[in-house]
Amino acid sequence: MNRYLKLVHMEIHRFRYVLGSLMGITMIFQISALIWQVNSKLSMDRETAKQFPESLFSQISFHEIVFSIQFWFIIPILVSIAVLSLYVFLIWYRDWFGRNTFIYRLLMLPTARRHIYLAKLTAILTFVFSLVAFQLLLLVIEKLIFNMIVPADRIQSSHFSDVIAANQAFKELIPRAFDQFVFSYGLGIMALIIIFTAILIERSYRMVGIVYAALYVFVCVFAVVFPLLSLGIDRSNAYLYPEEIFGIVFGICAVLLAASVWLGFRLLSKKIAV
Amino acid sequence: MIEVKNMSKSYLRRHVLKDVSFTAEKGQITCLIGINGAGKSTILKSIMGLSPIKKGQILVDGQPLDKLTYEKVAFIPDHLTMPLGMKLAEGLQFMADFYTNWEPSRAEELMDFFQLDALEKIGNMSKGTAAKYNLVLGLAQKTEYVLMDEPFSGIDLFSRELIAEVFSSHLIEDRGVLLTTHEIGEIEQLIDKAVIMQKGTIVREFNCEEVRSAEGKSIVDVMREVYRS
Repeated sequence: MNRYLKLVHMEIHRFRYVLGSLMGITMIFQISALIWQVNSKLSMDRETAKQFPESLFSQISFHEIVFSIQFWFIIPILVSIAVLSLYVFLIWYRDWFGRNTFIYRLLMLPTARRHIYLAKLTAILTFVFSLVAFQLLLLVIEKLIFNMIVPADRIQSSHFSDVIAANQAFKELIPRAFDQFVFSYGLGIMALIIIFTAILIERSYRMVGIVYAALYVFVCVFAVVFPLLSLGIDRSNAYLYPEEIFGIVFGICAVLLAASVWLGFRLLSKKIAV
Repeated sequence: MIEVKNMSKSYLRRHVLKDVSFTAEKGQITCLIGINGAGKSTILKSIMGLSPIKKGQILVDGQPLDKLTYEKVAFIPDHLTMPLGMKLAEGLQFMADFYTNWEPSRAEELMDFFQLDALEKIGNMSKGTAAKYNLVLGLAQKTEYVLMDEPFSGIDLFSRELIAEVFSSHLIEDRGVLLTTHEIGEIEQLIDKAVIMQKGTIVREFNCEEVRSAEGKSIVDVMREVYRS
């Protein structure tokens, strides 16, 4: 346990600058877009006021502004997703390639090898959740900035849930319903574990392993998608109720998850080659 | 004692190792000798569980490999095994964090002996310095056995002399050393047992002192016999 935590710390430590940069990029993009949008709206209103001194201006709410600059909010989120997706592979392959082969050292640590797997998995999940948490924190900061730069008499209050709903990416990343959260992040974690196992298959069997790994991923995707379609989730006259079909698929996912983790541990302890 | 029994390994239907058996005793320096591609490094990696074997058995003091073996056997590969972004001191700390057998005082002694700068980045080291640092990482563990892969390859003369000096020091005595090399040179006098390999098989295993006194032959003489026959 102790060595597992040390490994997690090591993995996070190695990625700290990239994680910090992603947070920095997100902050710069979103805050500058916010300030720019608010300022351009206020200056437009001032121009209008010069021409028509009698005009009344509508109030400005934070969530409307967030809605109008969705694009600039989503770009850094997409960049973060792309970088993390790439790092899912790099977190393993960087230990094999280059001038140093850190995997020698990792595999020779006097601890169960599954800790290496679990530490890398924990690290990726920590990166994902810390970026989501940072986004939530950033929204609070952005709202404070909004309140500071918009004249008090023109601020219309907005609920946090309206802000989340104002951006397509937020709706997906920060679901309002808990079951939605479990569903999307659960699916994500399962995909992550299947990819980890595929990587370990490739690392264990090399050239032939690429074929095995591709087959393995295909079988996993097929096992989840096929029952959904064949049992007729999209048909109203299907034999089973949608809840029952979801139950079956949930069961399949649980089996796949357990099998993937078991296979990953086994490959790492018995088959892996440096 | 490290025992390798009938070890075989193949890759894409090509035999890398074929029925390899030998032992390396504690308190002795055993040397696996062979030209490049003979399978020496593969044997060391297999002993450390870094490369799976197809057939055979590997025992360390009668026990098969498990996680505790890594507290008992240290492996010094011929290249860096630490992240390049770390400083040398951070690498030592990493070892101290994970190995209960790590001896900081011995690490310090070795760092001084090789004149390594603890604040330097691992990625900035030359090949020779990296080899010395690898020795620090391996020898500062208080293990009963040390495996070394080509400790002298591609290293300048003076560094080689320094490393050879370590072999006859208190840092090695009492331990069992298993090393691979394709150039005997400096260490011929230090080796107790030689295992000569060719194309994945062991062609001769002998006690150097016995052969020297009984047949009047050096290791190089025996090698010549083997490779020229």
